[in-house]
Amino acid sequence: MKRHLLIYSIYLLCGLFLTINVLAQEPNLRDYRMRFRFKTVKLHDNSRILEAHFIAANKKDRKDRVPIYDASIAFYNVFEDGEVLLGTANTSKEGFAQITLPESHRYRVDSDGKINLKAVFSGTDGLDGKEREISIRDLYLDLDLVQVDSINTVLVSAYTLDSLGAESPLAEETDIIIAIEGMLSKMVLDEGTIEEGKYEFEMPTDLPGDMDGNITVYSTIEDHDEFGDVIQKKTEKWGVVDNHVKEETNHLWSEAAPIWMYVVLSIFLVGIWANFLYTAINLFLIKKEGKQLELETEK
Amino acid sequence: MTDLDVRKKELAKEFLPMLLKSTKWSKIWTGVLVGFILWGLIALVLQIINGHGVTGMRDNVVWGIYIINFIFFVCLSYSGAFISGVLHFFNTPWKNSVSRIIEIVTVVSLIIGPVFILLCIGRLDRLHYLFLYPRIQSPITWDVIAIITDLIGCFIYLYLTFIPDFAILRDNSIGAPRWRKKLYKFLAIGYYDTPKQRKRLHSITRIMSAMIIALAIVAYTVLAWIFSLTLQPGWNSTIFAPYFIVAGLYSGVGVIIIIMYLIRKYLKLEHYIRKVHFIGAGVILLVISLLFGYFTFSEYFARWFSHKTTDANLLDTLFNTYFWEFIFANYIGVLVPIVILFFKRFRTIKSITFAAVIAVLGLWLNRYLIVVPTLETPYIPIQDTRPEFIHYSATWIEWALSFAGIAAFVLFFMLLIRLVPIIPMSGIINYEREKKKNSKPLAQQQLP
Repeated sequence: MKRHLLIYSIYLLCGLFLTINVLAQEPNLRDYRMRFRFKTVKLHDNSRILEAHFIAANKKDRKDRVPIYDASIAFYNVFEDGEVLLGTANTSKEGFAQITLPESHRYRVDSDGKINLKAVFSGTDGLDGKEREISIRDLYLDLDLVQVDSINTVLVSAYTLDSLGAESPLAEETDIIIAIEGMLSKMVLDEGTIEEGKYEFEMPTDLPGDMDGNITVYSTIEDHDEFGDVIQKKTEKWGVVDNHVKEETNHLWSEAAPIWMYVVLSIFLVGIWANFLYTAINLFLIKKEGKQLELETEK
Repeated sequence: MTDLDVRKKELAKEFLPMLLKSTKWSKIWTGVLVGFILWGLIALVLQIINGHGVTGMRDNVVWGIYIINFIFFVCLSYSGAFISGVLHFFNTPWKNSVSRIIEIVTVVSLIIGPVFILLCIGRLDRLHYLFLYPRIQSPITWDVIAIITDLIGCFIYLYLTFIPDFAILRDNSIGAPRWRKKLYKFLAIGYYDTPKQRKRLHSITRIMSAMIIALAIVAYTVLAWIFSLTLQPGWNSTIFAPYFIVAGLYSGVGVIIIIMYLIRKYLKLEHYIRKVHFIGAGVILLVISLLFGYFTFSEYFARWFSHKTTDANLLDTLFNTYFWEFIFANYIGVLVPIVILFFKRFRTIKSITFAAVIAVLGLWLNRYLIVVPTLETPYIPIQDTRPEFIHYSATWIEWALSFAGIAAFVLFFMLLIRLVPIIPMSGIINYEREKKKNSKPLAQQQLP
């Protein structure tokens, strides 16, 4: 029996120490497909972000995505005769590499007036090189927060500039998102379409805004084939301060506990202490009876 | 002199030497325990003079092994109260062999446990504020109320169960010193085992035993709520209260088995504490270990599956930094007792005691893993993230005070079993009386 016990114990211990990690292997690159994405975002101050995202995605397990860290990405402005290096950046732990070009930067454009941008990863011993190219038109968004017939209105106009600097309204219909800034993220108020270069939206009148009553409105064109991401924002004192004072209810931090707590605790404690008292009275009676017995014995 | 008086005299004669005589080993053992307590006192003085900087507790991990010992001892006490209450209330046939052990464990651990919470407090001089300005809505206040009420309840209950034995010793302590005789007379409060007195005592003990069960559950729950009502990862769980109750019972039954083994061996009580008692306790330990394993699995599985960032971070800490501790607490500490106790052939006195030791050690580590890794994985990281602020390791001061607590527990236990017999004499008499009462009609039937 002792031998069996020993064998069982050894099996048990071996079983206990076998964890998933014991069988884990180093990730094999052949199981992964490299994903290299490139996009551009035009910000409210007309500066432009060029951003590449580089990850390895498992071919079999969609959830298994490993960001490629510290990969050097070079960004170029490509034109018909050649290309100009705009800057380089290394990917972060999340696999993002980005550079920001100021408004004053003059891009070289092609014969159609488009800006051609390219992100290049030149490769390492273990990873093949990657490159992505996008072609965009420089779109301008003007955002006005005005009162039209006493109604707070958001007016957006979208246009491009020709070679002489003349504004040309956006002819094609384009999706636009109107949102306001929140503490943690933006809150979308409306999703609509720019028509003939214009979009109008009536603002709700019950938004609280920040502590000074300011509301920051964003108009955003997202992931557009021809323009990329374009963001514009403006702040106006349109917030309505909520002065409604709520009646104080009981909280953990309020001065008095809820009534039910006092009631439950009182019932609980009174019940227990009543029993303690009952026990003490009975002990006293036992003692009294004992004394009587002692007296009777003495007699 | 009636048969009953003769029997009481016999029992007193059998058990009195255990109360009066000290062996060489018991004196050495007492010396060792006092040594540990003195070591702890030195550590306490250093902690009071230099502050909590001498411990491993810092801004992130504000609770260390003091709180773990507190939970461990208090849970031990609650489980003792629970088991003792159940044994008395249902008048379990074999309760005589273990009831006194359980009662003493209950009270002694409830005295030692709260001392550890005092060691955690940085400003002991403000302790009375807790009573002067209590916040009823705070679980800490509930716990203070619950522990004090439970302590008083346990003292009363323990005293009630001691009274008949004090009475026997008062009438039969021949050769005992005068102070001891006086003490027994005082504590026996004129109890002469008359039918009226017996009925009265039985009635209040029975009510008290039922109340002790309820009190233990309430106090256990409140202790668990101190953790689970916070939003900390690893603590904020709806099953924490029942999980604590099961864990407490697991450690309680484990400690009782260990003490049963030691008392049986060193006080030579093989006649009273027999294998059947170990098997009974072992089966209870098996059932509780299965329950505890189930609760542990549910607790960690839900956290793993929900995959919240903070829970994932906590599990990552548990499976990396605390890998071996986690394996011991939640695998070995549960599965080894289950394997030993599940198979009939393994159920020997020694193997059951071994299973109990593993269970108790596993449980202590389980408490450690509930407290420390959670505090090392907070929701909002603190600004100053020095490694010693994030990671906790107990200093010698904390270990000295912990061992002093264990030594005090053992010493108090030893002192109490020098005051009253570890096997309740009144329980034996009651058992024999019941046996006689039940066999009488049968004997009468057999008469022609």
